[in-house]
Amino acid sequence: MDIEHIVEMKGICKWFGGIQALKKVDLELRRGEIMGIVGDNGAGKSTLMKILSGAYLADEGEIYIEGQKAHIQNPQDAFNLGVGMIYQDLALFNNLDVAKNIFIGRELTHGPLNFLMDKKRMYKRAEDVIRDFRVDIKSPRMNVARMSGGQRQMVACARAIAFQSKVLIMDEPTAALGVTEASKLLGLIRSLKEMGLSILLITQRIPDILAIADRVFVLKGGQRQDILEVSKVCLDDVVEMIIKGKDQGGNHIPEVEYKSYG
Amino acid sequence: MNREQLPLAIREKILKIDLSSLRKYTVMIVLVILMVLFSLTSPYFLTWRNLSNIIMQNTYFIIVAVGLSFVMIGGGIDLSVGYQMSLVGVVTAMMMVVNHFPVWLAVFLGILLGTTLGWINGLIVSTIKVFPLIVTLATSIVFQGISYLISRANTFRDYPGGFILLARGKILGIPYDVVLTILIAILASFIYYETVFGFRLIALGGNEEASRLAGINVRRMKILIYTICGLLTAIATMVMISKANTTNSSFGPGTEFIALTAAIVGGVSFMGGEGNIPSLIAGVLLLAVLGNGMQLAGWGTYAQFIVRGVILLGAVVFDEYQRNAKKKVQMKA
Repeated sequence: MDIEHIVEMKGICKWFGGIQALKKVDLELRRGEIMGIVGDNGAGKSTLMKILSGAYLADEGEIYIEGQKAHIQNPQDAFNLGVGMIYQDLALFNNLDVAKNIFIGRELTHGPLNFLMDKKRMYKRAEDVIRDFRVDIKSPRMNVARMSGGQRQMVACARAIAFQSKVLIMDEPTAALGVTEASKLLGLIRSLKEMGLSILLITQRIPDILAIADRVFVLKGGQRQDILEVSKVCLDDVVEMIIKGKDQGGNHIPEVEYKSYG
Repeated sequence: MNREQLPLAIREKILKIDLSSLRKYTVMIVLVILMVLFSLTSPYFLTWRNLSNIIMQNTYFIIVAVGLSFVMIGGGIDLSVGYQMSLVGVVTAMMMVVNHFPVWLAVFLGILLGTTLGWINGLIVSTIKVFPLIVTLATSIVFQGISYLISRANTFRDYPGGFILLARGKILGIPYDVVLTILIAILASFIYYETVFGFRLIALGGNEEASRLAGINVRRMKILIYTICGLLTAIATMVMISKANTTNSSFGPGTEFIALTAAIVGGVSFMGGEGNIPSLIAGVLLLAVLGNGMQLAGWGTYAQFIVRGVILLGAVVFDEYQRNAKKKVQMKA
């Protein structure tokens, strides 16, 4: 199996009732790259990524993580394989503070049978995470309900990467942010790449992708159109591919990589 | 300068003081105010005998309210606890009085039955994913029917001495049921604040979908909290029927309303994710003091119904107000 690719999804199909949301989609994410995932509304971007994160189960297809076949049945399985996802609505707990949001589902424990919370260690680790990622949050004891959109995004980010994640999926991370906060977040994504993370970035903001991504994966009507090398395309090329697709005029763009797994 | 003109940080601080502290201590403050008021209206109110009676008459309400808090903090609700008590009560009483089972066996089987009823609620709520209010309303009617079918509307009395001991026995001068209630309250507090289960339960009540995405087994958690509620309701039933030394199918119904009101008055959010045991107990005692004080002041039972209903409505409105206020601050941030 090809271990240049940290993630490989092969022939992924997903139905919602009678509607097929994904039609034999293949995706290959290289180690340490930022890949933009683009497509019109309903193209299947979030569905594909939710399958990788364990939020949805694929009806058909296979997933390989670092060359090994992965059986992702739920978000915990994905997390155990080093795949973290930041959802569009962030999936935060407004009734909990920052540290508890970071550690929910992966609590640090002590005592017999590991059922007691090690709060001291959790707050200390949360402080370290905030400091390491230079996140603009004053204390791990702050309640997330009282935070700005940018700060909440940072908490979701800290949660996804605090546990030696290898792959980070971000669903529309800049959609609800102002210009300054979006710019800060893009900077953070770049620094995460420098730290060795491989990142899948779903967004409708093509300029964001052109600014920080290495490649862009285009979906249309639940089908893979192409993977484009960002350095070789411009905004209009990506938009044309999203609108027209590969078979209707979008395929004049220099094709960088496409493997058919039949 | 009005509040809107203040900087955001200060407004957040004020809101934090307004709501969190207010919510945390309001029930205690109101309880003290009520006690002062009733002590002025009746010379009998503030006597040791009356106050200890209030506590002893409400131990089983506290146990049920603690059980219900697990479900409510987890984002659910259980309206069937009253008829769970009815069913568990008549079955346990019949095993002791009619079938002459040993006390320990009757109590064990009664508690097992209550736990199973809670488990059934949890299983239905987590499987068919219908609003738990409707599910537990339906199961309460089923439990009611079974209770009356089994008891044939008979009353069972004169339990064995060993069972009566639960209500009348004492340790260091403190009644067994009071000790039991204190132990359950301490254990519940410990579970909420120190264990992974308690932490996940509070998270589940705060955001169910986010809990699922965080890898928490939501279905298993839901089944577990309804089962715990059933277990504690069954324990409360033992205390209730032991105190009364009699039971029939009408014993228990109505408890759910008092426990629910006390839980909400005591700061357990109707929408889940919030609550603490000391305030919950204060909520039960507040309703008890209110009932006792009104009785001593010569107000009838029906007037107490009106006051309790108004209190429940007020507590729900306050809960909703608090949530909306939080959302506003979040949107402004």
